[in-house]
Amino acid sequence: MKVLIIEDHQELARNINDFLVKEGYICELCCTLEAAREKLSLFQYDCILLDIGLPDGNGIHLLDLIRTEHKQSNVVIISARNAVDDKIIGLDKGADDYLTKPFHLAELHARIRAVYRRKNLGGTYIVEFNEIRLNTDTFEAYIGETPLDVTRKEFDLLLYFLVNKNRVLSRQSIAAHLWGDYTDNLANFDFVYQHVKNLRRKIGNAGGTDYISTVYGLGYKFNAHKEAET
Amino acid sequence: MKLTNKFTLWYFAIMLVVLLIGGAIVYYEIQWKISKVEVVRHQRLNDLIAQQIRSGGDYSGHPTRKRATIDEIQADSMPTGTNSYYTRGIGWNSEFQINEFRLVVTSFYAINGKYYRITTYSYIPSFYQLLPGVVDSFKWILLLLLVLVAISSKLIPKYILSPLSKTLKVIQSFDLKQRKPIRLPETRTSEFMELNIFLKKMTDKALEDYQSLKEFAENASHELQTPTAIIRGKLELLMESDIRDDQAILIAEMHNALEKLSRIHSSLTLLTKLENKEYATEKPVCLSELARETLDSFEELIQMKSLTLDCHIEDNVYIHLHSALADLLLTNLVSNAIRHNTPGGAIRVSLTRAGLVIANNGLPPQVPVMELFERFKKGDPASDSIGIGLAIVRQICELMNFNITYEYTASQHAIAISFQPSIPASKLLQNLSFPLYPVAS
Repeated sequence: MKVLIIEDHQELARNINDFLVKEGYICELCCTLEAAREKLSLFQYDCILLDIGLPDGNGIHLLDLIRTEHKQSNVVIISARNAVDDKIIGLDKGADDYLTKPFHLAELHARIRAVYRRKNLGGTYIVEFNEIRLNTDTFEAYIGETPLDVTRKEFDLLLYFLVNKNRVLSRQSIAAHLWGDYTDNLANFDFVYQHVKNLRRKIGNAGGTDYISTVYGLGYKFNAHKEAET
Repeated sequence: MKLTNKFTLWYFAIMLVVLLIGGAIVYYEIQWKISKVEVVRHQRLNDLIAQQIRSGGDYSGHPTRKRATIDEIQADSMPTGTNSYYTRGIGWNSEFQINEFRLVVTSFYAINGKYYRITTYSYIPSFYQLLPGVVDSFKWILLLLLVLVAISSKLIPKYILSPLSKTLKVIQSFDLKQRKPIRLPETRTSEFMELNIFLKKMTDKALEDYQSLKEFAENASHELQTPTAIIRGKLELLMESDIRDDQAILIAEMHNALEKLSRIHSSLTLLTKLENKEYATEKPVCLSELARETLDSFEELIQMKSLTLDCHIEDNVYIHLHSALADLLLTNLVSNAIRHNTPGGAIRVSLTRAGLVIANNGLPPQVPVMELFERFKKGDPASDSIGIGLAIVRQICELMNFNITYEYTASQHAIAISFQPSIPASKLLQNLSFPLYPVAS
């Protein structure tokens, strides 16, 4: 997947780049509106990450160009401004998602995958990995042919793991993904532990491999290379 | 006491003094004037009689002689200097058979080598007879003044003081958060002009300061976003590198602190936005539905802490509130009730058209409960939260003119929000649809 990162903060752009390159994405960076216009007029991208606060103008203006010339591209706005208006205007103008800084890179990745699924897979909402199969439309999960009885939160959690395979997911990142912005009042992350524990137990009961492991001190990781237990 | 009343009272006092003195002056003036006029008349009469004597005719029956006495006197009894004087006093009026006030004018003349003393008199109204008239007229004047002052003290201030009362009204409705410079009425009264200029300067300065404070907070929070995002990204990348366990702990701690920072930051930004009234209400939101959704989304957490939930949600409660704020309000309150609950405790939620009450079991607060609405105030200083959730709740309530209260009774924390500003929220705690406080067994 080819991704254009339009972000004026070099370090942030590099973070995103490093993260996405590890996923095997091809990334290009540009940090001004002009540079972005140039790139967009020359190349096609699967996904465009757009920071709207650019030094030479509001990134929202790029959306018109993207909508006419790059119908296939997914656009995820990344903004430091958590203004409702910006969000509405951005989504109205054809952006697919809106993410407020500071965000977890895993979260960004999950969002990119989600919009990509919505737009490019032509109605197939299936996310598969080995014996695990998730239907993101009906929120049904299967281990092989056995339906997995999971709650909505557990489903989201499993999907988050599948999208971010082989990555350490911090408890904070998981909490933010499952509960959104409201995690302040849920400051201790015991409930993340509970959810992960329940999910692992349910997968185990359905005969699946326990891919999820605890990373000491940090969080959890979905180990794609783990052999199915025999 | 109103300014105009004060003025009126002072005015009355001064008027009374002036009228008393004025009455005395008028009384003596009239008395003196009457005597004066009579004296002049009698002097003329005396002159006339002297003329008659000079002419030598017989005027004994003449009307001029009716009250006149003519004496021939020695030259040495002629007074030097004046040739006329008058005396006043009570005298017997034989015509009316009554003692009356008599004015006697005596004049001296030298006619044809002889010296004459001519005395005429008349009766004039006594001072005591004049007094009631003076008192009476002053009574009427006083009454008239009283009435006029009373009326004008009601009417004139309205006219003269109208710039002041308008200014007061403007100042009373002045709100820094509205960010509108005040518009004061035009006036030609110099004091009011000065006051208005001063007020205008003061409020403009306050607005300016407030604005720059706001801008600072906004900029600071905005500019902090990106560095925070960068650090977080780096930490996340670092997590995936080959690290030792002790390093992992360090990273996790950094991550935690960073998380807290970003939570504080986003909460403060939210509060700023609330203060800036960036959330305009478009259409009423169905709070009943939203409350059920919120409680549903917290169901797992409630179960995890083995809490019991007792809900009384009236259908179709619509209130005027931005949906994002309604969501925030409910989420903050419910998550608060979950977090500060005791294991196995209960959460009680009551939503009616009048208001919302959320109560939960919990440990006694260590600070007065109303203080918990302040920013960064925590019931338990050791807790991991940043203590801003309730500040946000209160800010939303203030924004929407809701009345909010917090009570702690019988080991229950109860927060009540009244949607109608006329009904105090504490009333909701008394009239609940379920017994909020467990009956003592």
